[in-house]
Amino acid sequence: MARSERHGARGGAAIRTGRSRGGRRSAPRSWQERLANAAGWLVLLIAVGLVLVPLVFMFIASFMPSRDIMRMPFSWWPDSLFLDNFWQAIRGNDGKFLFPRAVFNSVLVSGSVAITTVLFATLAGYGLTKLKFRGSGIVFLLILSTLMIPFETVMIPLYVVVTDMGLQDSYPGLIIPFLLSAFGVFLMRQSLLSFPDELIDASRIDGASEIGIFFRIVVPNMLPVMAVLAVLTFEGQWDNLIWPLLVVQSPELKTMPLYVVSFMDEKSTNEGAMVAVAALASIPMLVIFLSLSRFFLRGANVFSAGKE
Amino acid sequence: MVTRRSKPRITVATRRALWGWVFVLPALAYFAIFSFYPIFNAVVLSFHSKSVLSLRPPVFIGWRNYTDLLGSAQFWNSWKATGLFTVGTAVPLVILSLLLATLIVSRLRLQRFFQMALYSPAVIPGVVAAAVWLLLLDPRGIANQWVNFVLGMTGIDHRWLASPEMVRISTILVYLWGKLGFFTIIFIAGLGSIPNSVREAARVDGATAWQLYRWITLPLLRPTTVLVSIMATILCMRTFSTQYLFTQAGAPREPINVVTLGIYTTAIRDHQLGLASAMSIILLLVMFALAVVQFRVSREAP
Repeated sequence: MARSERHGARGGAAIRTGRSRGGRRSAPRSWQERLANAAGWLVLLIAVGLVLVPLVFMFIASFMPSRDIMRMPFSWWPDSLFLDNFWQAIRGNDGKFLFPRAVFNSVLVSGSVAITTVLFATLAGYGLTKLKFRGSGIVFLLILSTLMIPFETVMIPLYVVVTDMGLQDSYPGLIIPFLLSAFGVFLMRQSLLSFPDELIDASRIDGASEIGIFFRIVVPNMLPVMAVLAVLTFEGQWDNLIWPLLVVQSPELKTMPLYVVSFMDEKSTNEGAMVAVAALASIPMLVIFLSLSRFFLRGANVFSAGKE
Repeated sequence: MVTRRSKPRITVATRRALWGWVFVLPALAYFAIFSFYPIFNAVVLSFHSKSVLSLRPPVFIGWRNYTDLLGSAQFWNSWKATGLFTVGTAVPLVILSLLLATLIVSRLRLQRFFQMALYSPAVIPGVVAAAVWLLLLDPRGIANQWVNFVLGMTGIDHRWLASPEMVRISTILVYLWGKLGFFTIIFIAGLGSIPNSVREAARVDGATAWQLYRWITLPLLRPTTVLVSIMATILCMRTFSTQYLFTQAGAPREPINVVTLGIYTTAIRDHQLGLASAMSIILLLVMFALAVVQFRVSREAP
């Protein structure tokens, strides 16, 4: 998108002679265009400013005592760094220091889910594209149809299944319903469609086994897409509230979202600890996002790619 | 001769097909157990009366769960809440993200910064978003301070989390804030896929920037717009976290008792699994109808 943009700018500049009135791309000339351009900047800056306010507020307020957070008017420049919020956030409402446990739980659950999703999705994607069998089209349609089933509509049926298996309030119970996603299969299949058959056939002639081909030829070449899927899956699980809410009862099994919720009780009024734990829960995701922003911004292309 | 020659070829093909099954089998087994079986189970359960707590087997009661639901004011209220939320969120979401994408694409500088800044709320966990917004929307919070400043008033509490109308608007605000960047980026991708030559041609013909946008860009962007609208609708119908956390924090339940929240409370607080299953099946049917519409529309689109 950025590339076509630059191209457009150049093209606009080249054509900007004679009757062409420039357009949005080239440097504005008439006062109307200057005005429109300035208005565009203004709208964008206001929008971005408003979008960033809650985030900035979160990080500033996490260093303020509760009474300062709730003081009118809010002071955007606290006079001292108040670290007690973080202590209370780590100590927890019940004083059991379950914060590290919650981080561990979330990393374990999100990590396992990301690994299995990537593995099984790549396997299935490879089988569906390069080892076509009779009925593979129907299998793909079946898997694709589950993409239309939002999790919220199957959560209670799934809850029944997981309780029947005796897995409520356990790590397997948290992980198993998310071992794979239809989106993952879809993503890997689409990316594997353009994988060169010659590479696979060549190693087949060399006598490599199907499993060997998969792990030695396919996986190394698909690592970028697999990484994108892993990050997206990890992020999605880190955010998962509704399922842990259903299956987790014991405090030791609380994931980060549940741990944050424990600070949001109607009766407890510790705003400082609440905003501090919120900040702590979002830092890992923000770090991943800032370091991999290119992947995230490109990820949206997945959705429009099928449209062309 | 012929048979002997074709025999190894068949076995190679069969072998490959078998391996195909092996590679796909884990996925197939997973979806069978965790997608299709639960739905089948829910259909069965929706015709039964079953409590979480009791050990008694489910009792078959026919269509009673469904007729009970259709006759219950609470059920219709939760669809009203979901409907209002979906329309109130999806429409501004599509318009705003289209506007912002158009503006970002027409900038020569800071494109990446704008995209990242707008997208950043999407990576924040929904629970965190709700926690922060609870503070912003507090009677003493920044929302009141700023709105009063803009309107030139002082000391007025807009009851963001207390009045039935405002709490609806508040959930919409939180959701808009979280999803705006995602849809803006999809629109940017859509805008990027429009060939420049078309625009150049119109520009040479003397079209103004607005004419160009209105008669060239927007029509060519239609597939993306349709896709975004339907994706936004389906996403909004699934909303849960914000509404759940706001009610946990003491906001009135009635106006934001969306369908997903209704399913959750029916199953977990009221222990009525049969009824909750029936609600899930109805939600599934509605979503499925929407998905079919999505498929149809995206096929028709050029």
